[in-house]
Amino acid sequence: MSTHSRQALVMIRTNLSSLPRRFAISASMILSVALVVCVLAGFLSMARGFETALTAAGSPSVAVILGGGTNQEMGSDVPAAVIRTLDAMTGDLGALRDAGGKLILSREIVVPVDVKQVADGTARTLGLHGMDAAGPSIREGISLSARRVFAPGAREIAVGDRLASEFGLRVGDMVRLGAVDWTVVGHFSARGSASESEIWADLDAVRAAFDRQGQIQSLKLRLVDPTTLERLQDKIATITGTPLVALSEADLYAAQSGRTASLIRLFGWPLALLMAVGATAGALNTMMSSVADRTVEIATVRALGFSRLSAFLGTWVEAMVLAGAGALLGLFASWLIFNGWQASTIGANNARMAFQLAVTPDVLLTSGLLGVAIGLLGGALPAIAATRLPLTAALRARG
Amino acid sequence: MTETATPYIALSGIRKGYRIGGEPISIFSGLDLAIPHGDFVAVMGPSGSGKSTLLNMLAGIDRPDGGTLRIGTSRLDQMGEAARSAWRAHNMGIVFQFYNLLPMLTAAENVELPLLLKPLTRKERRIRVDRVLDLVGLAGREKQYPAMMSGGQQQRIGIARAIVSDPGLLLCDEPTGDLDRKSADEVLEMLRFLNRHLEKTIVMVTHDPQAALYARRTLHLDKGDFVEEKRAA
Repeated sequence: MSTHSRQALVMIRTNLSSLPRRFAISASMILSVALVVCVLAGFLSMARGFETALTAAGSPSVAVILGGGTNQEMGSDVPAAVIRTLDAMTGDLGALRDAGGKLILSREIVVPVDVKQVADGTARTLGLHGMDAAGPSIREGISLSARRVFAPGAREIAVGDRLASEFGLRVGDMVRLGAVDWTVVGHFSARGSASESEIWADLDAVRAAFDRQGQIQSLKLRLVDPTTLERLQDKIATITGTPLVALSEADLYAAQSGRTASLIRLFGWPLALLMAVGATAGALNTMMSSVADRTVEIATVRALGFSRLSAFLGTWVEAMVLAGAGALLGLFASWLIFNGWQASTIGANNARMAFQLAVTPDVLLTSGLLGVAIGLLGGALPAIAATRLPLTAALRARG
Repeated sequence: MTETATPYIALSGIRKGYRIGGEPISIFSGLDLAIPHGDFVAVMGPSGSGKSTLLNMLAGIDRPDGGTLRIGTSRLDQMGEAARSAWRAHNMGIVFQFYNLLPMLTAAENVELPLLLKPLTRKERRIRVDRVLDLVGLAGREKQYPAMMSGGQQQRIGIARAIVSDPGLLLCDEPTGDLDRKSADEVLEMLRFLNRHLEKTIVMVTHDPQAALYARRTLHLDKGDFVEEKRAA
């Protein structure tokens, strides 16, 4: 070990050993860093959880065809003529066909409906998805957790598990959606994705109940494999009369989640950065007080011949250790508080979408790095100040 | 005030001043001093006479504005801050008035500090630390912290730290200023021992006439110049 390393290690050790002398101000620095880390981790975990819920809901093997020049279900309109043209198309469309050679597709519509919560009786807007009988089977990662899905033509609904538990919708319950009552006939699981915030019913029953006869917002088809989407896009490009878009379900949800997640981060980062500026000022104050507290010690070892670098490193490392402790505390607290926290927001189609906050490794890393950055910046100036202490302080001061 | 033999410490035409509140204050304007190798010099004088400034310059902590300052073969007045720092580490030990031990280090670790600046192994450092602790009469107290020791013991640790790297020069700034008479005499006896038996050159700033009696000669400083010299009988 070089003499420089030994000097630096001694300075670091003496600084850290003297921390109990500055317990209160050191603890305040740790807490302020922890708070910043916790706030940023909260926002990032919210964005990550939202993204996870939506991206998990979309499959690259399911294609969604939208009409009317939009790439969202809301506002999309697929004319019946398009479906007839698609049905009439022979050859390889890139989508699966049944044993009879008929295209397996589901015509779909989404209607926002108000449902009362059991807990407080307040109404929340949810998405009622009307679909053909093939709809549930076209979707990936769906499993029935209770009973069955809706019967064709019946006023029956299947409810996502998350929604069922939040709204207390049990199998056999009657729920008023719009002007008519619907019977809950089953629950489905979608591995915690955004689909668990949906209500499914038969397309014709939904259109009849909400006076949407003939309306179709989207078509869902199961692709042969994800790479055949391009073939389907080429085929629908030949259909004239209305602008059509074919995209994978994964891309559809990713586009939706991207906007909202960006919005969450747009609020989270500035707030966390503003708090970080405050915490950096606090760190600066703490470390200046540390340097003042150790003036005689620093000047003494410098008078003995220790280098300026060792004085700098001793103070800087102390700042980083305190900031690191704050970051760890903040990360632990955010993991305890936020990970798995149920949240909800207005998702696609103005319907409420529930999701879980996810304190993932990248959230931990980003938030933790911000905490350490506070120590790096807040400790740098005091560390420089430590190197500039007048050595005469050592000769005359009471240690 | 010069010595005829080749001096170990030689100050010639030293000028030094400060600005206080914008006003220039001259401390030295042409100070000369020669100290031969192996001497033990006490520097006395009233407050403001320049004792601390002199000591700071000898320690390489401060630099003269003009004149030459040579210790051994090194011209301290021509060295930069880093070079003086390295020079201090290898050529001098400092004994402080308030001991200046690091409270969170043990006695042995405090004594070891100057050795960390040298390319020595852990075992070599330990041997040297044990030897000087034995020399100052504190063998067996290696693991004690400064707070567990009396003032006299702490100052002896300070002396051990000053001599552990075997420097030729010891600078002592009021080494007995914070001690009772008995402890002060013990410390001064030790300094005299180091001077007489280990041939350390010692420059000691003190206000205490009793302490000055342990030196080979005493220089009185007043208004930036030496006004009187007394030699021990």
